[in-house]
Amino acid sequence: MSEEILTSNFFQLFGLPVSYDIDLNQLNQQYLLLQKQVHPDKFVSGSDQEKRISMQQTSWINEAQTTLKDPVLRASYLLKLKGIDFNLENETTKDAAFLMQQLEIREQLENVKSEAEPLDVLDSMAKEISTATQTMMADFVKSFEENQLDDARECIRKLQFMQKAKIEINKLTAEIEDELLL
Amino acid sequence: MALIQIAEPGESTTAHQHKLAVGIGLGTTNSLVATVRSGVVNTLPNTDGQHLLASVVHYGENHIHVGSDALQYSVSDPLNTIVSVKRFMGRGIDEMATEGAHYSYEFINTDSAVPRIKTRAGNLSAIEISAQILKALKVRAVDTLGDEISGAVITVPAYFDDAQRQATKDAARLAGINVLRLLNEPTAAAVAYGLDTGKEGVIAVFDLGGGTFDVSILRLNKGVFEVLATGGDSSLGGDDFDYEIAKWIVSQAANSNADSPAIKRYLMQQARNAKEALAEQAAVEIKIDIEEFQWTGTLDRDTLKTLLTPLVKKTLLSCRRALRDAEVDKKDINEVVMVGGSTRTLLVREMVSDFFERELLTSIDPDKVVATGAALQADVLVGNKPDDEMLLLDVIPLSLGIETMGGLVEKVIHRNTAIPIAKAQDFTTYKDGQTAMAVHVLQGERELVSDSRSLARFELRGFPAQVAGAARIRVTFQVDADGLLIVSACEENSGVEASIDVKPSYGLSDTEIERMLRESMDHAEDDMHSRSLREQQVDADRVIEALDSALAADGEQLLSAQEKTEIMQARQGLLDVKTDSDKEKIERAIKQLETTCDTYVARRMNSNIKTAMQGHSIEEYATDKQSAAEET
Repeated sequence: MSEEILTSNFFQLFGLPVSYDIDLNQLNQQYLLLQKQVHPDKFVSGSDQEKRISMQQTSWINEAQTTLKDPVLRASYLLKLKGIDFNLENETTKDAAFLMQQLEIREQLENVKSEAEPLDVLDSMAKEISTATQTMMADFVKSFEENQLDDARECIRKLQFMQKAKIEINKLTAEIEDELLL
Repeated sequence: MALIQIAEPGESTTAHQHKLAVGIGLGTTNSLVATVRSGVVNTLPNTDGQHLLASVVHYGENHIHVGSDALQYSVSDPLNTIVSVKRFMGRGIDEMATEGAHYSYEFINTDSAVPRIKTRAGNLSAIEISAQILKALKVRAVDTLGDEISGAVITVPAYFDDAQRQATKDAARLAGINVLRLLNEPTAAAVAYGLDTGKEGVIAVFDLGGGTFDVSILRLNKGVFEVLATGGDSSLGGDDFDYEIAKWIVSQAANSNADSPAIKRYLMQQARNAKEALAEQAAVEIKIDIEEFQWTGTLDRDTLKTLLTPLVKKTLLSCRRALRDAEVDKKDINEVVMVGGSTRTLLVREMVSDFFERELLTSIDPDKVVATGAALQADVLVGNKPDDEMLLLDVIPLSLGIETMGGLVEKVIHRNTAIPIAKAQDFTTYKDGQTAMAVHVLQGERELVSDSRSLARFELRGFPAQVAGAARIRVTFQVDADGLLIVSACEENSGVEASIDVKPSYGLSDTEIERMLRESMDHAEDDMHSRSLREQQVDADRVIEALDSALAADGEQLLSAQEKTEIMQARQGLLDVKTDSDKEKIERAIKQLETTCDTYVARRMNSNIKTAMQGHSIEEYATDKQSAAEET
């Protein structure tokens, strides 16, 4: 546990090693332990100053937990700690073959509702993407550990595409399921 | 107001005093107040033994009535008898017109961002009307408990947006209530359920009230109530059921005289009676006899099912989305807790039970459970249970975003993010010499500005003129533990704090609130002044006392000689003005001392956390199953 909540990095905050592989169970336990100390509910009769510090610290802990729980956010945070600070939104890969593949996925998603069994199609697409994501994650970890940071960064750019596709698949699945319910 | 109370949260430096704190369930149809006495939580009845206060306000010729006294005027004086005012909280004039279709009020648009309802007592905002209900509950609490209450936890629908939450807080302010926390209704219900049964695991709370619907998925673990996701609809409830039935009556009767306010109100009441009767019996006879409207007919459960199914289905879609957001499978839910008066409707129970594929928990009192949970939290918040491990971790129900080019919304904070949370967003200028800019804040899940709810427009001013694109204005969006948004801005290159003009899209401005407060104040201004002066003096004593005891405990370890000297100087500064009759002077000296102690307080908090974390092994907090966030 670090001295200063607001100046420690997210891994230190939860007593975790600075690494892609973290114990999510420990993350959650440490998260709750910290919350029990700093949450604004503990300072309702405190001074304005205590309330403000408590709110800042709790916000920071929440931000840290959200970042470390999500694999892509965690990976890009690791790069950030290495001095590579980039805005995820503005990053894009130049790998033409990969981009082509992504375009195909998009097209497939756009037309999925006219398929005979759209939910089955979405299901199998989700599985494919999940497998590809895991391979890509492994690539990231390897590059990162070998300190090939440019390669690691490229992995994150691609992972972002995969994550967006996954979100889109979930959204379409939800829409179709909702329509069936109504 | 102790300066440093961190060493033992909840324990004051003086002998512990039990504080009176209450929980208030401010409902669309009924409201309640509850408190913990001798370790037992109870809702408080009025002198007639009634626990529920009908959320109705009647503005009579000479009197304002609240509760069942007001309800009796509902049909005879509909325009001055305001029911379901909660549905109008934080709403704009267009939304009020849609919501108001059920009740036939006359809405007035004013210069203010808050529309008014026309009554005999003048044009009133929903906030002022709500404050009457809160005042009645406060009076009940003070009369029953025999003393002033130090604060209240007030419940709001989890799905209330920023404007609706702010409106609720403003109403409490008008009623003279110190709000300890705005607590989400399903979370309050979970607290009451959790503490009562001692059960742990993942639960779903299905809360369908008179005008609002929430569903929350929570994980209960060793006193921690962690909301995983929440969903709902802040304009869906039992009133809408009644409206469907009332429309059915009109169509069955083929009567074209149903437009008068009195008839509308009467039909809503008859519809509600019929709906309630159908919870007990298979069919009910409805007899309409008012003015030019006479009709008799029968409503059976099958017809009711046809009328209400589309509405209940809407609640199920919210349940499905909440489960998805929480990444929880239906089969991993340990219990589905039913809350809110509208869960008495059998069709709701059937459809929800089918959806979750299980028996529901319907044994707790759906009306009282929310106020009960709020009272339990209030008791902990004021420090009556210093050793209590209870902690509520809640989320923001709707995403917050800002307007970008082309009328699109860029999300800054996503829905179901744990609160408090802060996110910074950088902006730049597009013209040379630009020294001001506007930021439009929106809430909701849609992508277009026109489909989202406008919260406020901020004008940032006073940052130094630079060439286009060179300025870097960092805007910080902070959501506090009440789910309320606070915005601050700073120009990064110069460090200049930009000033912000907030134009809330639906809220009351500070000046309006002050005016209302002045008007509603029972005390003369002098009274107010001497009272707040006394409070300030007491505060000064507390601050000094807390500082002294903190310094005695760890001043030597945590402070350098220089820092200690500075603190002692500020302490002397406060001692010097403490008995002054100028309230502002004392206030400034307290502020000064607090600012000087900033670093010290932060160090104490951190060293305290360190001690606490060392004191426990991780295993003590184990057994919690982490969801498979790793698998993408």
